[in-house]
Amino acid sequence: MHLHKYERIWLIFGISSLVLFLVVLGVGAFYKGTQPPSHLATVDPTKVEEHEAFREENLGLRKVGENDYIVSVIASAFNYNFGKDDEGNTIRKIEIPVGSNVLFQATTTDVIHGFQLAGTNVNMMVEPGYINSLKTTFKKTGTYTLICNEYCGTGHHLMAFEVEVIDNE
Amino acid sequence: MNKKQHHKDESTTNLKGTFIAVMILGIFILVSWFIVFGIFLSR
Repeated sequence: MHLHKYERIWLIFGISSLVLFLVVLGVGAFYKGTQPPSHLATVDPTKVEEHEAFREENLGLRKVGENDYIVSVIASAFNYNFGKDDEGNTIRKIEIPVGSNVLFQATTTDVIHGFQLAGTNVNMMVEPGYINSLKTTFKKTGTYTLICNEYCGTGHHLMAFEVEVIDNE
Repeated sequence: MNKKQHHKDESTTNLKGTFIAVMILGIFILVSWFIVFGIFLSR
């Protein structure tokens, strides 16, 4: 088969790029353990509160280790439920120390919602019937806004929450 | 004879412009991919 010299160069360039991207993907998946936010963990959307992770006392920010936290959230039109504080008031903001490992787990009782912490890699869909989770480590302090990025109805733009990453000291 | 003539024409086709255009596009895709990947890693 006759191949033009330029065609050969282009094919080598294209195939090498493909190999490079597959290697990056493989390192991410098998060495770094990156997973999609949905691991097919399911939950009955009508009985979300009965699930271990979403019981009243487990909602919101929970410290589970020296440097490890779990944040459990129930999303619904048009609110993120982070539970209540000790005085029974609805939690409107959470504070997480910088450098800590945080596992976000969320589900929804109605339609599909978005779960994006603007300016970070925390960005996933929240689907009815599934528990979507994402692990992250906050490297920079600051105030991040959690927003819904899947159009969920007339109050979609009202769905927001504040996450503050604070200094350890 | 005719076939041979045709083959000769094809091999001498000037593909320089095509090659440059394709490489510009390829390098653009690669560079933009790495910029986005860099943003992902830095966050």
